[in-house]
Amino acid sequence: MNWIRRTFRPEQVRELILVLLIGMIFAFFSTQITGYFSPRIFNRITADVAIITVVAVGEVLVLLTRNYDLSVGSIVGVVAYVVGTLLTRNQSMPPWQAVALAIALGALMGLINGLLVSYGKVPSIIVTFGTLAIYRSILVEISNAKTVVTSQLPQWLLDLPGANLMTVGGFDLRPMVLMALIIVVVFQFIITYLPWGRRLHAIGSNPDAARVGGLPAQRIILMAYIVCGSLAGLAGFMFLVRFGNITVVAAQGMEMQVVAAAVVGGVSTNGGTGTMVGALLGAFMINLLQQSLLRWLQISEFWIDALLGALILLAVLIDHVIMDRLRAFWVQSELQVTDPESDIKESNHAA
Amino acid sequence: MEKQTPVFQMKHISKRFDTTQALDDVSMDLYPGEIHALLGENGAGKSTLIKIMTGIYSPDEGDLLLDGKTIRLNSSVEAQDFGIAAIYQEPMVFPDLNVAENIFITHRSRGLLMNWGKLYEDAEAILAKLGVKLDVRMPARGLTLAAQQTVEIAKAISLKVRVLIMDEPTASLSAHEVRQLFKLTYSLRDQGVSILFISHRMEEIFEIADRVTVFRDGKHISTRPRAEVTQESCIQDMVGRKVEDFFVKNSSPRSDLFLSAHGLGRKGVFEGLNFDVFRGEVLGFAGLVGSGRTNVGLALFGIEPADSGEIKVNGKLEIVRSPEQALKLGIAYMTEDRRQIGLTMTMSITSNISLPMLLRQYLTRMGLVKHKAETITANQFRERLNIRTTNVEQQVGRLSGGNQQKVMLSKWLNARPQLLILDEPTRGIDVGAKAEVHQLINELAAQGLSIIMISSDMPEVLAMSDRILVMREGRQMAIFNRSEATQKKVLTAAMGAVPHFEVDDEKESEMEKPA
Repeated sequence: MNWIRRTFRPEQVRELILVLLIGMIFAFFSTQITGYFSPRIFNRITADVAIITVVAVGEVLVLLTRNYDLSVGSIVGVVAYVVGTLLTRNQSMPPWQAVALAIALGALMGLINGLLVSYGKVPSIIVTFGTLAIYRSILVEISNAKTVVTSQLPQWLLDLPGANLMTVGGFDLRPMVLMALIIVVVFQFIITYLPWGRRLHAIGSNPDAARVGGLPAQRIILMAYIVCGSLAGLAGFMFLVRFGNITVVAAQGMEMQVVAAAVVGGVSTNGGTGTMVGALLGAFMINLLQQSLLRWLQISEFWIDALLGALILLAVLIDHVIMDRLRAFWVQSELQVTDPESDIKESNHAA
Repeated sequence: MEKQTPVFQMKHISKRFDTTQALDDVSMDLYPGEIHALLGENGAGKSTLIKIMTGIYSPDEGDLLLDGKTIRLNSSVEAQDFGIAAIYQEPMVFPDLNVAENIFITHRSRGLLMNWGKLYEDAEAILAKLGVKLDVRMPARGLTLAAQQTVEIAKAISLKVRVLIMDEPTASLSAHEVRQLFKLTYSLRDQGVSILFISHRMEEIFEIADRVTVFRDGKHISTRPRAEVTQESCIQDMVGRKVEDFFVKNSSPRSDLFLSAHGLGRKGVFEGLNFDVFRGEVLGFAGLVGSGRTNVGLALFGIEPADSGEIKVNGKLEIVRSPEQALKLGIAYMTEDRRQIGLTMTMSITSNISLPMLLRQYLTRMGLVKHKAETITANQFRERLNIRTTNVEQQVGRLSGGNQQKVMLSKWLNARPQLLILDEPTRGIDVGAKAEVHQLINELAAQGLSIIMISSDMPEVLAMSDRILVMREGRQMAIFNRSEATQKKVLTAAMGAVPHFEVDDEKESEMEKPA
């Protein structure tokens, strides 16, 4: 059994369980819904999941440090609206500028969150609860109750969501899905192999030890918020591409889905543990369930929200039961101090 | 032992907080390759000194010198860069990171990318240098305290530590683990590290220290080589008055049986415990940390109920499934962890004391809290237990460790128990407060209260107990009467048939003298 412990971590076992669960959900609904395994549903789910995942990746960075960012939904909405409006007015703006602008705008809002949390020392849940409302209100103010309309957007933007990079039997690989996958891989790499990424774990794992040990916690947390904001900005652009019509309530409540995806994917709200792959799987599972239940029982959106809440609770509950056991099984190392040399020195000292 | 030039010097350091002079013109030299013990009651200025040495506070006056050159420390990072590090009683590890990462996480020059393979190799190399075997891939969560401390020591080594401060490192360790820690400490000393060692356990200091410095009320009182100090001289320096008889035991006569346990067990934790507790008796629970002593206490108090065997209280079979039931039967349990679960640090002394009895004693008929009655109780205990505070409305978190311990005692005494289970009642408190707690235990027993005292402090167990129950790996190994118990017998039982280290008789008799 030892090789299992040495090769895998408990987190990976958890992700495997998630994959199995997704498979089971899929298998169950294939028997219940006719035409379930269709390109239409697949493409719809992946397009939704892509946006949620990009935001969730940023959220995981913040969660790892034992902080929250609840303002991501508002950031996505503001960015989608602002970039959409600018593109309507200036049809000739090159695509890269639109993307850069989206990221910069998101980063700015992330910076404000980060400064208040790390240097202002206000609890993150309060800060981002405040900015959640403030960013949304700014959007309402600047929009003047106008809406970005699909028909006024430049053509390249309208072509983007339908574009295919690769098609396998009607199942498309859309550019935005590919982008989300790349972001997951890149940030998984970052949190595994970059010192900055490891330090996010360290700070969330034991903030006091981080302070005493001399980690520049404030800077690291600030950076996590900026990156989280940037990714939300990018997601704002993706949101604009996908929906075209942007109102002042765009992406409202998205923070709930994002936190749910992370938590279901095994990211601890106490910081220190969690992976990007887990968040992706969490987002996928939630969306798959939502779409399947909508078709199966024809239940209302209202109940879907309740389901989402129940899933979060269940995930946290299971985490306590399963992960504690897995971890107890993993940690079975004994401390041994066995140096004959120091034994001799010790007896010398005593004499 | 002393080399010619000190590695680290403190000259005329003073530090003031509001109205308290925490440090007053303190000077001290640390030499490479020496273990320098620092003694002092809580509030003597030891913690302030550590914080100044590690760059968390800066001194109001005075200089810090490294290799004879004045340095300024503005943060713990800068202290680390100079090779000054500290390990604490509660290890500061990152539970979600593995051992190797914990060692290297604060290093700034390990390249742009993490090379996991090299990280494990380097970590293993450092542990090998210390003579330690520990799986470097294991997450720190779930390691024993001793193992976590070892990780911190390895971290300090990896940072090329020159001055290592060890702040009560042995307070939570078992006797065996203390031996392991001492081995590590000697090996560090032999590598030329200067070690400032802080402990409340006198016998440890006499064993490990090359020189002993005593602080009192923020002042430097004495620094002497080990050979020139005695227990009496240290205590006298610490308290500024002559303390005779540091452990006193009025042997309390056994009267009638209060509680008896037969075959008591909890699956996977402990099993087969048979013991009686008489009124007015102190039953000591000895054993290594992790031998299940605390779990027995938790079982009797109904927090982790026993699932086999029976408990008789006053001869009647009782089932204890919750603390409420235990309290009704007259059983109270005082935890070893006063900071996390024993007290609410942000609440006042008054509120802490009245908390367990709030619903039974301090409510008006309307269901409102009788604050006046609470205050009266708190003031009674303040007087009776000599809690040093100007006001019972003070936050418990602001009291010294010894006074916090007294508040916790008050809290449970106020529940008027017939059996009080004390888990490590004197851990991490200073000598003066320790003597007061011992005195109180004696008085309570004389008044007919039954006491179970769980303690890792061997001299304390031997001196305070009427009988001693020894546990090992969840089993009861022996019960000794006061007259037959010796350090060697208890340790041998606690460590099983084959002791992990030899207790030589000479040293043992030396250690028993104070008792």
